[in-house]
Amino acid sequence: MTTTNELNAEDRARIKGIICDILEIEPDEMTDTSRFKEDHEADSMGAIEILSQLERAFGTDIDQAELSRMVDLDGVVTVVGEAVAAKLARAN
Amino acid sequence: MSSLVLSAWSAISPYGVGNAPLRNGLAEGRDAVAALDRDLHEVPFQQAALVPDFTAARYVGKKGTRTMDRVTALAVTAVGNLVESVAEELAARPEQTALVLGTGSGSVQSIMDFTKDSLSGERPYHVEPARFPNTVMNRAAGQSAIWHRIKGPNTTVAGGSLTGLLALSYALRLHRGGHCARVLCGAAEEFSAQRAWLEWHGRADEERETPLGEGAAVFLIEPAEDAAAAGRTALARVGATRFRAYRGTDGPREALTACVRSALDTAGVEPGAIRFVAPLGGGGKLAAEEEQAVIDALPGVHPEWIRMRERIGDTSAAATALQLAAVLATAGEQGLGPGEAALVTGVERDGQVGCAVFTGG
Repeated sequence: MTTTNELNAEDRARIKGIICDILEIEPDEMTDTSRFKEDHEADSMGAIEILSQLERAFGTDIDQAELSRMVDLDGVVTVVGEAVAAKLARAN
Repeated sequence: MSSLVLSAWSAISPYGVGNAPLRNGLAEGRDAVAALDRDLHEVPFQQAALVPDFTAARYVGKKGTRTMDRVTALAVTAVGNLVESVAEELAARPEQTALVLGTGSGSVQSIMDFTKDSLSGERPYHVEPARFPNTVMNRAAGQSAIWHRIKGPNTTVAGGSLTGLLALSYALRLHRGGHCARVLCGAAEEFSAQRAWLEWHGRADEERETPLGEGAAVFLIEPAEDAAAAGRTALARVGATRFRAYRGTDGPREALTACVRSALDTAGVEPGAIRFVAPLGGGGKLAAEEEQAVIDALPGVHPEWIRMRERIGDTSAAATALQLAAVLATAGEQGLGPGEAALVTGVERDGQVGCAVFTGG
């Protein structure tokens, strides 16, 4: 059994939708590397909200320490991918 | 008798957002209760009186309202329409304006949704943190103040169907104590599935069918001389408020009659001066007792009765505030005239009655 942390396009779109909803922006305003705080005016509450919404959506736990990597969409997708992989590894 | 007057008001009712829809709806004698879309609302009621097309995004704005619940949005909108009247004072001395807002339990919908998420999610902490503030009772009052930069005392008052009158009474004390120069005071209530179910189970059989309504009403309360100096018309002077407890099903009549007599006495108002009476009303024995109590206290007087509950349903915590708004809407742009007075009453099924007397001129 190999574990992968590559999420498919559908998951990526779902993540983007959740984040755009929280940041109250349109999806086309966000790129893979536009930064939540600097480019989209996210505050610390927004960051926590993103983390907890993703935990809910993917049924997984994400350590708050990961927030330092969750600064743009690419970063979040990587972190969520790892969290999902870790959950699958535990289940096996 | 206090020197405080009501010099501006703002209402959201099932007739629509703003004072004009309420004024027109009442003038036309229109009924705002309509069939509920049962696909949208899983509730035990066939009908309700909702504020038409009301959403936070539409009336408060798209930014910062994603997680704002309905009662909070109703309050923020109603207060927003009121603060236009005191924009200068608010900008100059924001800490001198207080906000006293009545509410039921806050939003029972928000409280139950959040709790359900915690109990049914994969982890108890898999909740939406941004929705947590909706679960506290003072969310609507706090958010209204933050949104409109009102920095004076911020108070939430809850007292069932008497909430609006109790908030008014609190506002008078707050001002008398020297804590602020003016008070924005009122109450808000939302329609929700959870509130519908709670009402359905909590009511006596005889009043079970009364449709639920929703809305908000807030008033600017300030000294008469301040209103005059600012060029605002004193629509009504706050005469007095009175509250009493009662026991048993025959208790409300006697208790409310005593309340009304005492309030009239304090306000120095002869029963014959009462032009408008706005009772909580509705169906059932309590409503009959309420009207009889007023008749007992006003022998031989024939006021105009404004029965809001028949028009806009049971607005629970917002009811008595909307009754007062209805009095002002009916009295017209200049408010109560010289020598005129109005009476707002309520009977709470948990054992309390209350009233407020307002005078003109």
